[in-house]
Amino acid sequence: MPLQFAKFLRKITATVVVGRSSFQVEAADKGKFSEEFVEKSAVAYMKEEFAKKNGFKEGDVVRLTRNGRSVNLRVAIADYAPDDGVFIPNSIYASYLADFDGFKRFEASLEPADGDVTKPEEIIQKMLK
Amino acid sequence: MFTCPGCSCLCDDIVVKTEDGKISVRNACRRGAGIFLNHNLSRAKPKVNGKETDFDDALEKARELIQQSKSLAIYGLDTTTLEAQKLAIELAEKKEAFIDDNSSFCLGDFVEMILKGELPTATFDDVRDYAYVIVYWGVDPYHSLSRHLSRFSYYPRGKKRQRGYEEDRFLVVIDVRRTHTAMLCKKNAKFFQVRDDLELINAFNQVLDGKAPSIFPQDIPRVVKEMEKSDFNVIFGGLGLKYGLKGNYDMFKEFMGKLNARTNVYFIPAGCHPNMRGFNELMFEKTGSVNKYSFKDGKSSNDFAFYNLLKNDLIDTALVIGTDPLNSLPFEYAKKLAKINTIVVDPRVSFTSEIADVVLPSAISGVESGGTMVRADGVRVELKPVFEREINDEFILKKLLEVV
Amino acid sequence: MAFAFKVVNREKKIEECTPLFEEDKYKKQREELLKLLEPLKEATETGLIVDEDKCVGCANCIVVCPVHVAEDPNGAGIGRGPTIENPILRLENGVVKVVNMHLCRRYGKNRILCVACRENCPSDAISFLEG
Repeated sequence: MPLQFAKFLRKITATVVVGRSSFQVEAADKGKFSEEFVEKSAVAYMKEEFAKKNGFKEGDVVRLTRNGRSVNLRVAIADYAPDDGVFIPNSIYASYLADFDGFKRFEASLEPADGDVTKPEEIIQKMLK
Repeated sequence: MFTCPGCSCLCDDIVVKTEDGKISVRNACRRGAGIFLNHNLSRAKPKVNGKETDFDDALEKARELIQQSKSLAIYGLDTTTLEAQKLAIELAEKKEAFIDDNSSFCLGDFVEMILKGELPTATFDDVRDYAYVIVYWGVDPYHSLSRHLSRFSYYPRGKKRQRGYEEDRFLVVIDVRRTHTAMLCKKNAKFFQVRDDLELINAFNQVLDGKAPSIFPQDIPRVVKEMEKSDFNVIFGGLGLKYGLKGNYDMFKEFMGKLNARTNVYFIPAGCHPNMRGFNELMFEKTGSVNKYSFKDGKSSNDFAFYNLLKNDLIDTALVIGTDPLNSLPFEYAKKLAKINTIVVDPRVSFTSEIADVVLPSAISGVESGGTMVRADGVRVELKPVFEREINDEFILKKLLEVV
Repeated sequence: MAFAFKVVNREKKIEECTPLFEEDKYKKQREELLKLLEPLKEATETGLIVDEDKCVGCANCIVVCPVHVAEDPNGAGIGRGPTIENPILRLENGVVKVVNMHLCRRYGKNRILCVACRENCPSDAISFLEG
């Protein structure tokens, strides 16, 4: 999709559910700064109907924002996602958005994004400021 | 055979062989096998202020920081052995420090209720041998405790469960989404997709009080009826349940009481850390509390949870052992670690090790060092190393103890 | 059609269709057919394929297998790693591998179309080739 077009799609509010992914844990053990870690962690799983309804498809980059903090994740279609939102694995991406009021489940805004998925280094940089 | 340190299942039937430098692992799940197969990947290097150095230099700096600290917190410990946890607790006590593990935001409250006798519990072996209705509440063991159903609950035959899952078990999964575990709810099973766990408990209570439930009008009475068919049922509770209860533990205890007035329903926590329960039990035995402890104040409090100590700027030094708070704690709390002295003890490169003042590389418990861990059901399991390393958590903690 | 079924059932080999391999005009069809038949190479004689990329090593399939329950009642039957030397399925390096398909009830002349392993795999990592 041409870059500018992304701006015109709606920003929606989605439920984000955080949970375990065995594949993501395996990747974390192999190396938290590896490409595989990013591939398995910076993902927003959503159901096919939810994706279609909101104009997303597998491989798109989306931005999740909550309380002024955003991460870019890659869309993957999965039937184990929540009906009205996304499932993201337990990791630095989820921790960046969460707080203990909504630790495993919270609302966030979801919109298409330009560019690549967020890297863990970028989040760590923000911590050092 | 070896024990896998991957999760609180602590599977002790793992076969590990090395032939021509190649490792092969049998009987472990993907996560568990990975711990053995990839044990040499992404190893931590000794560092001081971000620069690689030798181990002795890093150890010296860590000892200096511990000695000089006026307000120290020791955190993590759920992936290490009882033997190492004991040394950490001793260090905290001698230094009048704070000590906490991941259970303060995980399942510590449930373990405490069990240890106080407020929730009836059982062992995995009992579940395998006797349990009929098996409930997974707010946990997706397919991913977090992969062999849980096949080793302990729905699938294995047992003394009184000889006929297999189709006749001798009834599976209930309660979750906000249809997880992989929920997909197994086919014939003798029920999946409850819930938005609000408190609403579900209320509805169960209505049935137990002889009234019609406000939600799931057929399914809740069915589950209660199934439970009454047997004298042994079990609820495995995970983080989804903890956060779904929003602190209403009294309500949960009352509900369990009502169930147990009808028939036996046991509770076993289903958390993923291999030795969280071990830390909780050691602390409970010593202090009467499972976590969030201040040796200076001589008590446990929510104020002393590691994340709150960070939030309220109450510590000047953090000794982080076998956990990665930059990965698992919410940003607002984790970012404070960059502002204080942080010592990381970990076998692998972690996000926290990138901002730490000192990194002390250690051994992977259960792969490179041995000891005891406590399974989620309270059973102690021995671990022995496959590839032993001299420098492990116990070694490091003994060295740190020398300066207090 | 009969020949196609026999190829899927491994009673005949695709190479036995000589015109397909000897005549140039069938080159495109030959390439497409060989690509279609690629999964068969991975399938065992019972037509069982494990997609390792989907497998998390939960071992439901190993423990639920009625043959394992009968042959290994103190091993796989009670949820432990198989204690018999050549079980049908075993976790190797974290994923399920087919070790000994001869024991499987789907194998051989008097086969039963047992689906216990596939039915209890939440991620559909196990599939059977019907033929």
